[in-house]
Amino acid sequence: MSISCHTAKRHSADYVDGRLRADRRFNVVAHLHDCEECATYFEQISQLRAALKAVPEKPIPQRLETSLQIIASRQRAEVLATRGSHWKATWDKWKFRVNELMKPLAIPATGGLLSSLLLFGTFVFTISTTTRLVGYEVPVAYSSRSEATLIPLELGSHAVFLNMSIDSNGRIGDYAVSDPDCKYSADLEAQRTNISMPSIPTVFAVAQPISGDIEIRFLPLAFRP
Amino acid sequence: MADSIAKLSITGSQSSLSAEDARLLRGLRAGIESAYEELLARYQQPVYSMVYRLLGDQNDACDVVQEVFLKVFRSVGSFQERSSLRTWIYRIAVNEAHNHRRWFSRHRKNEVAIEPENEEQRSYGVTPDPGPSPFDWTRNRETRALIEQALDEVSPVFRTAVVLRDIEDLSYEEIADILQVSLGTVKSRILRGREALRRALTQRLDPGLSEAFV
Repeated sequence: MSISCHTAKRHSADYVDGRLRADRRFNVVAHLHDCEECATYFEQISQLRAALKAVPEKPIPQRLETSLQIIASRQRAEVLATRGSHWKATWDKWKFRVNELMKPLAIPATGGLLSSLLLFGTFVFTISTTTRLVGYEVPVAYSSRSEATLIPLELGSHAVFLNMSIDSNGRIGDYAVSDPDCKYSADLEAQRTNISMPSIPTVFAVAQPISGDIEIRFLPLAFRP
Repeated sequence: MADSIAKLSITGSQSSLSAEDARLLRGLRAGIESAYEELLARYQQPVYSMVYRLLGDQNDACDVVQEVFLKVFRSVGSFQERSSLRTWIYRIAVNEAHNHRRWFSRHRKNEVAIEPENEEQRSYGVTPDPGPSPFDWTRNRETRALIEQALDEVSPVFRTAVVLRDIEDLSYEEIADILQVSLGTVKSRILRGREALRRALTQRLDPGLSEAFV
């Protein structure tokens, strides 16, 4: 089967390299026999290949040989240090990178951490989730009645209420005393002008000052019968 | 028997390594000094020669070859033995040369060397042809110089295929493995590379050197 010049040239690489199938090789040979141009082309490609094969290798420079010896020596030392373990080598590699990254940050990071711990340690004790009045002169029931069985005193059951308005600076704007059970009204009436208000320090609830209207419940002390 | 045993990798899958490559690989992974020396003795010259022809510059070739062997030594533990040691190393070399050429075209094409280029660094041959006369030797040397110059003019993609086939004498299958392309693509690149080289040489040759191919 005759082939075209284009087809023949397309097979030139395989033909020159001895990879062409027998039937195609036959067709190419037949074409070359009839086509002088393609025959010249194939001849030139063959000679080109032969010339390329004859080109000597580029001699490796001495400095490159030395560099490669040094590289080989270092890599071999690394393999021996990690005992050929891929995971250890990877771990060592990343540990080295993290250490190199953290070196310039070590001092400021340590200083920042210590400062944070110091400040936190200083202020953590001021945080409170409950309202607590400590050291006041006015006895105020905190959460529940306390009973002291050894002392012949007890808290009375009838409460007196003190309503106050406190501004944001802790100053009392207004106050009123009420006795819903009318237990102490007579006494309060007599004592009204003599009620002395102790200074009430700023009350904190969850580290925030309390202001506004406050009701304080007093349970008077009474001798236990 | 030894060959078939050597062909099995640690995972038990089929390996493409010969017994000799398997032995060399075991030595490299174990950190045996002679294995490192043998690897360099076997591959440093052909790798350098190939990279030089791909890049056309000695300094660039030296830089790339160092990177190649650094990668080879570092990756020898994770080499999966699906190809021969030779094609694996050549694949790394070709990729590094291409990366270097891309970096060069992006960053250094406007640079001018401070030192004058030393013609001795671009010598094209060290072994004089033992021809019958100095004239023949000179003509062969000139022929090789012409071929080298013409090779530099061929597109890098086709030049790589021609260098691997006609100078490094690798098979089509090995070239396909190195370049990670199909056999058909390898064939096409070799065909077009040789054609481009032939055209470049034809333009250079004067009638006096028309028989330079021989």
